[in-house]
Amino acid sequence: MKADRHIGMLAAGLALLGLALGCSEPEPASPAGGGGERPLRILSLTPNVTEILFAMGLGDQVVGRSTWCNEPSEARALPVVGDTLHMNLNQVIALKPTLAFLITGREEVARGLEARGVRTVTLRSDTLPQMFDSIRVIGRETGREDAARALVARIESDLAAVRRRVAGLARPRVLFAFPMTVGSARIMVAGRGTFVDALLEVAGAENAYPDRANWPTVSPQKVIAAAPDVILVHAVGDEGAPDRVEAIRRAWTGWTSIPAVAGGRVHILTEPYLTIPGPRVGLAAERLAETIHPELQERSP
Amino acid sequence: MAQNSRSPITETVPRADGPYLDVRDLAFAYGAGPPVLRGLSLGVERGRFVALLGPNGSGKTTLLRILLGLLAPASGEVRIAGLRPADYPAGALARRVAYVPQGTSSVLAFTVLETVLMGRSPHTGALGFEGAGDWHAAREALRLTDTERFAERNLEDLSGGERQRVVIARALAQEPDLILLDEPTAFLDIKHQQAIHRLLVRLRDEQGMTVLCVSHDLNLASAYADDVVLISNGRVAAAGTPAEVLRTDVLETVYETRVRVECDEVTGRPYVLPRPED
Amino acid sequence: MTLQPLSARRYAVTVLAWLALWLVVAAAALVLGARVWVWESGPQLNDALRDALYGVATASVVGGALALAGLAFQALLRNPLASPYILGVSGGASLGVILSSLFVSVLVQPIFGFLGALVTVGTVYAIAQRRGRLEPYTLLLSGVILNAFYAAVIMLTMGLVRPETRGDIAYWMMGNIGRFDLQWGLVGVVAVLAVGAAVVFAFLAKGFNLIAVGEETAGTLGVRVERVRHVTFVVASLVTGAAVALTGPIGFVGLIVPHLLRMVVGPDHRRLVPASFFFGATFLVLANLATGLLEGAVAPFPPPPVGVLTAMCGGPFFVYLLRTRWRRTAEVQ
Repeated sequence: MKADRHIGMLAAGLALLGLALGCSEPEPASPAGGGGERPLRILSLTPNVTEILFAMGLGDQVVGRSTWCNEPSEARALPVVGDTLHMNLNQVIALKPTLAFLITGREEVARGLEARGVRTVTLRSDTLPQMFDSIRVIGRETGREDAARALVARIESDLAAVRRRVAGLARPRVLFAFPMTVGSARIMVAGRGTFVDALLEVAGAENAYPDRANWPTVSPQKVIAAAPDVILVHAVGDEGAPDRVEAIRRAWTGWTSIPAVAGGRVHILTEPYLTIPGPRVGLAAERLAETIHPELQERSP
Repeated sequence: MAQNSRSPITETVPRADGPYLDVRDLAFAYGAGPPVLRGLSLGVERGRFVALLGPNGSGKTTLLRILLGLLAPASGEVRIAGLRPADYPAGALARRVAYVPQGTSSVLAFTVLETVLMGRSPHTGALGFEGAGDWHAAREALRLTDTERFAERNLEDLSGGERQRVVIARALAQEPDLILLDEPTAFLDIKHQQAIHRLLVRLRDEQGMTVLCVSHDLNLASAYADDVVLISNGRVAAAGTPAEVLRTDVLETVYETRVRVECDEVTGRPYVLPRPED
Repeated sequence: MTLQPLSARRYAVTVLAWLALWLVVAAAALVLGARVWVWESGPQLNDALRDALYGVATASVVGGALALAGLAFQALLRNPLASPYILGVSGGASLGVILSSLFVSVLVQPIFGFLGALVTVGTVYAIAQRRGRLEPYTLLLSGVILNAFYAAVIMLTMGLVRPETRGDIAYWMMGNIGRFDLQWGLVGVVAVLAVGAAVVFAFLAKGFNLIAVGEETAGTLGVRVERVRHVTFVVASLVTGAAVALTGPIGFVGLIVPHLLRMVVGPDHRRLVPASFFFGATFLVLANLATGLLEGAVAPFPPPPVGVLTAMCGGPFFVYLLRTRWRRTAEVQ
């Protein structure tokens, strides 16, 4: 779910150094998928990687997934091995995977899998370029470089389509935030350089909080100072329940000096794919664009 | 007899007859244990200095606790100035009866003056403010016990004897009619033992105070008290003047040991001697 | 320490002095917390002031409540190491909030926190009371049992929930003052309870003094010891539960403030009660201000929650306590 992605993205960013020492460029080991002789047994431990694998037509070669890999719907039938915090190693061994993909800062997970003879590839997808890189890496590892290239091209064309739709429209300052946690005065927002930041740019907006990179938590006064024109709150799962959404909305209404609040442009979005760096980023960009630029919805049916 | 414990003293009807401190047929046991008091009766008139003697475990401290209202007797009756301890409204009993316990220990460091002012607490209001009257009573108590010069010092910095005098001062600050003491001179030297007993006599003479003093020291009791009550096995074994009670046969029965009783030629009071030769 | 008896006038002067100190500190915290000099527009200044005012108000009522409860528990249990959380009330309130956060909306969670506190009060009473008497020893033991139980259940809960919720729970357990969604109603409720507790303890203060000298002595001086114990236990637990339901368990305020005040004011509870109330508020307002001023100090990390700051002060202070006062009182025994 959300936190796994965030933990994964944050950790992956931090693991930059670690991976630089280790295998930043995964060595092409045994050319397993070189001619497609033996089918691969792929373990996917991160939701967006699962989506990418299925989008590349590799769904039939995936033998196991993490608890949080619920998309696409075909993936739900796959056996679950836990997540990067708690992995059921017996289950992993029973599935006899040959290749594992994951996004995590916890090197011991990767090491543990490698020690059991599973070729493990640690990917990163904090930013859009990293996401594309990861798709290419998956393509190389599985011998499906063509499928990878096709997926990348498709995603890029999705994004380009959104860019065309918003060309020429005014670029408001948008704050992409997550719901406040119980009793905390701070909220987490999308900072500079994240892939959400990139999606905002695609969607014809400007990140209202470019001061810090990654996913900083900010106090109310920081938000007041940032004075965003639009606020998007991403509430998924339980937080998307109607009473929670109502609570979030009410939490924001008091801060009337913020242009977004005064102008009634606080939107609570519950689509999970908005923060999954995977094949559906085009859809995410489109949703963001339509929310940020309501005039788009009037044009298209 | 009025049962309402909330009404002020004037409304309940005290028993007009009977001594000031009237104990009748008191019985008490701690929890499910053996009875400590088995039908104890005694009467103390106002303005008398009474010494309460008896072997260890005879029930002396238990009797004090019942008189103070800290314990409820299983059967029998206690009346102080005609009222039972439970009939006194909150704090009213403390304005009449003061208690000097054996030794004192405290987790907090109060000064001597603060300690004596605590004795005013039955008189101060709900929030505990002290007025000029309280101040005056505390000073007077310090003067009577010759502890004025310690007023600002911390209680824990004083010697045992000085501390005991402060505790007596606290009891005096209550302005009681009846003062109960539990072995007040147990750990003191002869100088302080005499000083405190002289003070108690003075209080009886100058203020008409009734004094009930539990003691193990037969000779001090004999020298200073008006009356002696000897308690044994939860009952009164003997009561009367020191000469009437402190007799060889009585003492040997109650204390189960050999003693020798002589008469002090100067005071005419008995004094008890041990018998190491036996 | 005190050369004069405590008259009504002297008492009023003391109360007003502590109140004035709190007012000055609160005003400074408001100005500094809102950083009034950075804002250009009026509405922005208003919002910033509202944010800072909420922090000051919350810190004041919770600080006052916790300091009072700490003082009361130290008197009740005759133990200078007692904190408001020693009888498990904070565990109960925390568990109430945590469990309810999984099912109900944010607005209702503090009610469940308070319910958790109530359940704890009832449980401790049921375990500890013997023939209607509440003895310090049995109360302490019951508190130990309940604290262990709650810690285990909270850890179990954290193990069973989603990873992101785990982080939220851990964060809440550190104790936080500010909120994005300002809950003025809750603050008001805690304020009423804290003021109520201050008044109740002001009337019990005389009894606290006497009970500290000795239970028997207190009884002979007209104090209804068991009644004082019962009322203290209930009131202190309720006000602690309300505070914890509002901000999470902020540590060490309830322990440090009474001790600091004893060093300045002396052991007389009549003075300590109003001092604890106002200085507890002042103390937590200052701690909250400190965390606000730390904003950006160790970038990119956010400033620590208030509970972390107070705990970091608490440790060294505890050591100091053990080495000085404790040794002195130990020698007295």
